Amino acid sequence: MNLDTVIFIVSAVVAVFGATMMIAQRNPVASVLYLILSLVAQAVCYVQLSALFLGAILVVVYAGAIMVLFLFVIMLLNLRGSEDLGQPPKALSRFTKYTIGILMTLELVFIIKGAPLKAMATGLIGKAPDGFGSVEQVARLMFTDYLYPFELTGVLLLIAVVGAVVVAKSRKPGDPEETQTEETAGTNTNEAGS
Amino acid sequence: MVPISAYLILAAVLFGIGTVGVLISRNVIVMFMSIELMLNAANMVLIAFSRALSIADGHVIVFLVLTVAAAEAAVGLGLIIMIYRNRATINIDRFSLLKW
Amino acid sequence: MEFQLPEINLQLMAPEIFLFLWALAVMAFDVTTKRKSSSTAGNLALVGLAVTGVIMVFTDQGRGFGNMFFNDSMAVFFKVIFLAAAFMAIGSSFGLTHTRILNHRGEYFGLILLSTVGMMFLASSSELISLYIGLELTTIPLFVLAAFFKDDRKSVEAGIKYLVVGAFSSALLLYGLSFIYGLTGTTDIAQIRSILAHSAVAGFNPAYQESTPIMVMAVLAILGGIGFKLALPPFHQWVPDVYEGAPTPITAFLSVGSKAAGLVAFAKIMIMGLYDLYDPSKAPNDWGILVGVMAAAAMIVGNVLAIRQTNIKRMLAYSSIAHAGYVMVGMLALNSLGLASVGYYMFAYLFTNMGAFAIVALIEDRTGSCEIASYAGLSKTSPFLAISMTIFLLSLTGIPPLAGFFGKFYVFAAAIKMAETGSGLTWIYWLVGVGLVTSVFALYYYANVMRTMYFVETDSPLKVTMSPMAVAVIVIGVVGVVVFGLNPQPIVQFASDMPAALGALLP
Repeated sequence: MNLDTVIFIVSAVVAVFGATMMIAQRNPVASVLYLILSLVAQAVCYVQLSALFLGAILVVVYAGAIMVLFLFVIMLLNLRGSEDLGQPPKALSRFTKYTIGILMTLELVFIIKGAPLKAMATGLIGKAPDGFGSVEQVARLMFTDYLYPFELTGVLLLIAVVGAVVVAKSRKPGDPEETQTEETAGTNTNEAGS
Repeated sequence: MVPISAYLILAAVLFGIGTVGVLISRNVIVMFMSIELMLNAANMVLIAFSRALSIADGHVIVFLVLTVAAAEAAVGLGLIIMIYRNRATINIDRFSLLKW
Repeated sequence: MEFQLPEINLQLMAPEIFLFLWALAVMAFDVTTKRKSSSTAGNLALVGLAVTGVIMVFTDQGRGFGNMFFNDSMAVFFKVIFLAAAFMAIGSSFGLTHTRILNHRGEYFGLILLSTVGMMFLASSSELISLYIGLELTTIPLFVLAAFFKDDRKSVEAGIKYLVVGAFSSALLLYGLSFIYGLTGTTDIAQIRSILAHSAVAGFNPAYQESTPIMVMAVLAILGGIGFKLALPPFHQWVPDVYEGAPTPITAFLSVGSKAAGLVAFAKIMIMGLYDLYDPSKAPNDWGILVGVMAAAAMIVGNVLAIRQTNIKRMLAYSSIAHAGYVMVGMLALNSLGLASVGYYMFAYLFTNMGAFAIVALIEDRTGSCEIASYAGLSKTSPFLAISMTIFLLSLTGIPPLAGFFGKFYVFAAAIKMAETGSGLTWIYWLVGVGLVTSVFALYYYANVMRTMYFVETDSPLKVTMSPMAVAVIVIGVVGVVVFGLNPQPIVQFASDMPAALGALLP
């Protein structure tokens, strides 16, 4: 039982704990915070797997930006978890859903456990090559071999921005009847969140 | 040393928790966060395999997938804001106008 | 320490790049002009699509970006379908008086064009990650478009349902793809195929041999992810709701374009990549039967549940589930006729469905109702619309000599031809049988609409004024259905280049 195993077990337990608590919370802010906890634990696992750059990116981008975006939205909508969520679902449907999910998870786990993945012969990982997972290696690959998907994600981000603005842009009262002139177009963008 | 399959099992468990979250959650935002959790489980699988194969392609893929997840989250959250404005509720069970 | 860029053949991507920039221009145009002149943005969009088509004719086929971008004959064929679908979707949006479209034309048309660009990128991907990103590029604008009518609760509901289902399915697909990457060590589809084919050789990654359950799981995850897109049961639940709630031209675009995009993704991943797993002798890795069952379920569910629908959009939604089943029958036939028949089917479906939805959009806009009952007396008030709708419905049923009939004919013929070759493939005969029986079922609900149009009397006949562009779309649909029904050969010829492209991907 060396340090590696201990770190893995601790971070795995924390990750699973965070995920489970996330789906069990009423308060969405608490859900986000638990997800962030789970993500940080996963980042520890990444670092253990020599994915140094990606571990940092996970924390900075995912936990630090995307989850904060979720928090923004929750606070914007002023959700407190005490909203009326209607009557609780029937016990049978809840039971079915839980069962489906848990069965599926168990099945996945057993499949992976049972697979003698020969490439990982004794199941252990050898020593990582030098510079594996470093920024330089990832960058080298991304800008040579994977240049095309990289450019595509640029297009994707642009489309996402356009889509998000189209969807979430609020309008001034009485706007649907008016045609949008340049003036209202300018003032509309100032009307965030009202 | 920790075997690779341990990481794969962790990823499978997280994926399963994410699926359960999508199925049982009544709040659209938590549903969406569960989907992000599922995407992260796939990321973990990619990183684990990448380490086992000692090629860094998996890292690049994860980087791109992170970007895709961010884009999807942006649009998804925008949509959620819109429905909240429209319906003043985020309870997914309330969305039953369209039925059988 | 040198930095070796791959061979970028940017000119191969000319159509996509052009359409992308044009989409941005359409959106910018709308923002910068003050006067809302009637349909300039829409006309611009249509012109852009036409020019892209022309550019595509002059673009060579070949590989770009170091093997990742592959403009082959299959890509070209499906790009034509995508462009035509976008053209007809935009065309049927003309003359719609919904304020949301009128006030936000640039965004509406721009998003449709952007989704088309995503589909085109998807069609020319030869590598898993660009395929995944292309899929996301396709669906993200569609999330927004499905919820475009912000004030209409149904539209908003459709958007959120599509969002959750789309995001869930993409996560599922990614999970499967990540295992494929891990077990083969590469994301290039041709390499994956050759690795799986030579798995007996302890070459690159001997993991495959003993990891059969993992491969099964990966394939199931991939089928789940793509099954959502293709509306195959049990992943079809979202279709009726989203189709009913979304704006009708977007529903049309979803039913044809998004479905074709799903088919391309399926073909690339399953047929090109996991080809050797479609082999009964390699059970339980054989995905053929599983997809066959899903296709049969689609045909049954779609046709049976369409019968009790009173809303024409929901009826057409269930019918599109059924047609997804028919198309998958053709996809399961891994012979030269198979993919060609799928291509022809999508071509026929393109004209039929876009035309039918154009009529639905028109009537919905003028009368505010999507109920079948509101079509009563259409034959008297607008014989043109009634006849066109009849032609479309007959084609959907599969009555000769319309294009829909030949679509089904080729698909079933390809499947039977496939079943004759292999030994463990007798289940394909059952599949074709299910297809034939359910086609007969389909006649019932299509005929119901026709009966309403012609034989049901109504006190308040609807007067439908038609914008020229919408009429043009309907005419194109009718012409396409009739002409390609009477003369299917050119399209089949065009589509027959596709299976050769599959072989070309092999190293």
